[in-house]
Amino acid sequence: MSTFHDGSTSTHPYKEPSPLPSSIPKVDELGTTSAPLKSAAFFIGAYCKDYNEDFMLCKAENRDPAHCLKEGRRVTRCAQDLITKMRENCLKQFDEHWSCLEANNQEYYRCRKPERTLNKCMFEKLGLTKTIPGSPPSQKPIHEVEKPVFTGVQK
Amino acid sequence: MPVPWEALIPFGLLTAMFGTAGTLMNVSKRGQNLGKSPRYHVDPWDEMMMERDKRLTGHIRGQSTEPIAPEGFATSSVWYTQKTN
Repeated sequence: MSTFHDGSTSTHPYKEPSPLPSSIPKVDELGTTSAPLKSAAFFIGAYCKDYNEDFMLCKAENRDPAHCLKEGRRVTRCAQDLITKMRENCLKQFDEHWSCLEANNQEYYRCRKPERTLNKCMFEKLGLTKTIPGSPPSQKPIHEVEKPVFTGVQK
Repeated sequence: MPVPWEALIPFGLLTAMFGTAGTLMNVSKRGQNLGKSPRYHVDPWDEMMMERDKRLTGHIRGQSTEPIAPEGFATSSVWYTQKTN
């Protein structure tokens, strides 16, 4: 006897059947997962600032997905470029930092030591610094404070 | 006077029971999270990122640093829709 199974109960991953129109250039998606992306986030902000700002301004005009495809492709390509460069130059420090984040609920304040080595390596090899936008100019940014009040528990 | 060792049995029982329960909980949680401690204070952003990680690596705690996504990632995202009228 055959039973009706709703589409949401499938065990196979979903595959969108309709293909992308051939007029749209094909750009591969970014394959980096959440922890490495969080580790690289401020460097993506520094490296891809122009493309990111273009995309955000375009989205502010019109939220329709079709309107901002070009800017979106540029953002993806820039992020892919930076991840490739990070892996070539600072792979060890990058891996250490995102592994630390994964072990600590992906919170920055608990992984300052690996973060400092990563920031140093990124500055030396690629000239990128981590800046927190909107931080008050009178105080030191939290990632540069030597003895912060909030640290993780001693393990 | 001989030491009343029978009086220490309850302490030993408590230690053993708490220890076993705690260890089994820890092992069970780590088994579900690929050897890492579980995520907490998970907000909708984190849920979205973990679902994306599952599409990329097969597990919500799986991580990878590949710049190019695997085949099929671009077409595997699912939006749940609802009837509006």
